[in-house]
Amino acid sequence: LCRGGLAERLCRLQNRERSAISFWRHQCISDGKVPSDKSGVLIVKILEIFEECTIQVAICQQLAQSSATLSPEDAVINAEEPILKVLFTRETAAHLKSSPQDVIHIYPPWQKLLLQNADVPVIMNTYFSQKVLLSEHSEAREKTYGLKKMLIRKNIISLAQTFRLDDLDDKLHQESSDNQVPCAPQTHNKGDSKQHPPALSAVNDSLLEMVESQGAVGWREVQVRVVIQRVYCLPAREGYRSHTQGNKPLCATPITNSDPPNVRLCLLVQDAYGMFSEVQLQSLSSTDDIERYCQRWEGKSCCLAGMKILQRTTRGRALGLFSLIDSLWPPVVPVKVPGQSQESEMMTTNLPPPSFCYILTVQSGEIHVEVDEEEQISNLYQPPAVHGLKEILRISGRNERCSFWAQVLYQRLQSKHSVPIDQREMLLFVTDSTLQNVVHGIPKVVAVSVTASCVLSMEVIEALSADSQLVFFKDALWGNGRIICVERTVLLLQKPLLCSAAGADLSELTGPVRLDELDSTTQASSICALRGTVVGVNESTAFSWPTCNRCGNGKLELCPQDRELLYCNQCSEVVTTPVLKMQLEVFLSCPSRSQSTVKVKVWHEISMALFVLLTMLLFLQTYEVQSVLGKEVGLLSCYVHSITSHPNCVALEEIVLL
Amino acid sequence: STLPAVAEELLREIRKAFQETSQVPDDLLLGLKFIFGPSAVPALDLVDQRSVTRVRAPSGRTLYQVLGSSGKLYTCYSSCHFCTCPAFGFSVLQKSESLLCKHILAVYLSQAMGACQELAVSEEQLTNILLAEEEDEG
Repeated sequence: LCRGGLAERLCRLQNRERSAISFWRHQCISDGKVPSDKSGVLIVKILEIFEECTIQVAICQQLAQSSATLSPEDAVINAEEPILKVLFTRETAAHLKSSPQDVIHIYPPWQKLLLQNADVPVIMNTYFSQKVLLSEHSEAREKTYGLKKMLIRKNIISLAQTFRLDDLDDKLHQESSDNQVPCAPQTHNKGDSKQHPPALSAVNDSLLEMVESQGAVGWREVQVRVVIQRVYCLPAREGYRSHTQGNKPLCATPITNSDPPNVRLCLLVQDAYGMFSEVQLQSLSSTDDIERYCQRWEGKSCCLAGMKILQRTTRGRALGLFSLIDSLWPPVVPVKVPGQSQESEMMTTNLPPPSFCYILTVQSGEIHVEVDEEEQISNLYQPPAVHGLKEILRISGRNERCSFWAQVLYQRLQSKHSVPIDQREMLLFVTDSTLQNVVHGIPKVVAVSVTASCVLSMEVIEALSADSQLVFFKDALWGNGRIICVERTVLLLQKPLLCSAAGADLSELTGPVRLDELDSTTQASSICALRGTVVGVNESTAFSWPTCNRCGNGKLELCPQDRELLYCNQCSEVVTTPVLKMQLEVFLSCPSRSQSTVKVKVWHEISMALFVLLTMLLFLQTYEVQSVLGKEVGLLSCYVHSITSHPNCVALEEIVLL
Repeated sequence: STLPAVAEELLREIRKAFQETSQVPDDLLLGLKFIFGPSAVPALDLVDQRSVTRVRAPSGRTLYQVLGSSGKLYTCYSSCHFCTCPAFGFSVLQKSESLLCKHILAVYLSQAMGACQELAVSEEQLTNILLAEEEDEG
């Protein structure tokens, strides 16, 4: 430090002051009472406390001079008493542990400063301050101080506020507005031309801004313009469970569930900056609308208003959502870069894919989503890229979203009877022309697993049960050599309006469907064709049962009125002409897989007429197994239950393709 | 907010006192200590050493350069409270613990006591000073 300079002087003064403070404090403690010198003592009652940059500012009322035995109850606030702003350093404040309603004695030397444009005088240099303690409440007060300290408001000082030392300028300190550093993000008000209800502000194009303005004044009126990239349904979080209606038989009938499915319509939207958000809209009463919403809304712009933030999720926590976002990255048109002026938009070749996404939901009540259905498809929209199944099977990535058209050949529900029907996983065996037209190397038919989280519309479920369907699988997930339909995958019966790459033509099958023949590469849970010779019959498995000729219900009951008639409780009618189903396990010798024992559960339907004959035959035990042996079994379509190596056995079940 | 007004008034009083008596009374120095805490003594030291330079371009644009104790030159803006020193970034921006860093306080004190050195530069040179800071920070 410079000799004789200001710094050196302040150092000396400061040291002196410090000694005085510690001496005084020591005196207070040891005496146990207030020092007798009363002159110049400022007595104040704290009304409010806040903090600015480690200085504690206490708005106080100056009390009339009185003795130290003043009790707070006597210190009634008189409106005439002057208000003061008393400043305490961090160290003094920690020592005092004061809170509103405390009475403080401030001993000299304190300083008073009168501000230019304020009436309230400021008291500084308040090192010699002491709190008047109440005997009864002191302990409790000490304990609650810690809590109250956390509640002291801290004012953040603006850096734009500079000091003017000259008198020539205005007395009132002004921020130089032209030099002001903008601290809030600039709002891009793109075209106030939209005629919206007066309550809503001009339209914004940044989701991030809307999210950051949450809680601020007027946030409900903030509108954001976004592009709808995808429309889908998600099962509601409360549990995708509808009531099990008694013992519902597992049958091939349409699942008529009268309870409304617990699903919500969701949009995956993208703003002009490339940022994504998932917007969860209302619960759907009928899942049939999914297809309609997809057709009408995907690719269009919409305005969101009054959104509530449900969650901010990241890549690590929402793999499914981000696999969908990744399939839409990079954007097909340049997106804005935050911080740049409105005019310059940057190319997006090197932008990394997003790592976080906000999940928004509508406030209860009105839906603040306005979709411009009449408007054209936005440039930012990326329709699903459609590929043939052959190409998809060759994708090397994991968890890639893929879209394709396929013919559904066979549907199999995973048979866990404890789980309600609509929560069961389903296997769909599908094919298209790219798979059918290949000679060898890749399978002709692929199994697509549909999990319970993939919401299917009633329309699709019914169609799948009834007939072989051409289904569009939008945003299915490919990974680990399997195609699975999960959350955000949508199955559609109609072609979406916009699809890149030839869509439906790939799936036009030019001939009858061919299955792979059973061979050494056949896997369990697949379907195949087989031919062979019957070499044995498992008589213990012979089984026959009547089924309803209308709905195929295999669990017919005896009619309560006439115990000789059969009754179908699905149709709620008597079954006059039941269809007899017979099941039998036969052992085949198949040339294509000659090393294995092939066990096939075959079943057939036979008409009523033969039913009687067969019953008699079985009863009379004249059924000749021998007549079945050696029979050639033609090309059967089968579902492979299991394949074991020791013993080398393949268990199959004959199936009927849709 | 209260503190900036208090700080400003204190600095004005210092200026007034200095103009009248060419001196700064003790109580105002202690006031500096009270308000600015640990920055007060180092700031006064910078003033003692005449470390503050006001850099001015023909357009009227100004900035301040303060020669720190380590020999490093820091830049302080005129239009707002900003300094390129690490303490500013930490205490003021990040923690909001201080109103100013010692360099900005030294600028004000130098203004109050007429202790600023003056430097006239071209427009381009002023721009380069500002840009150089950006490059340093990477």
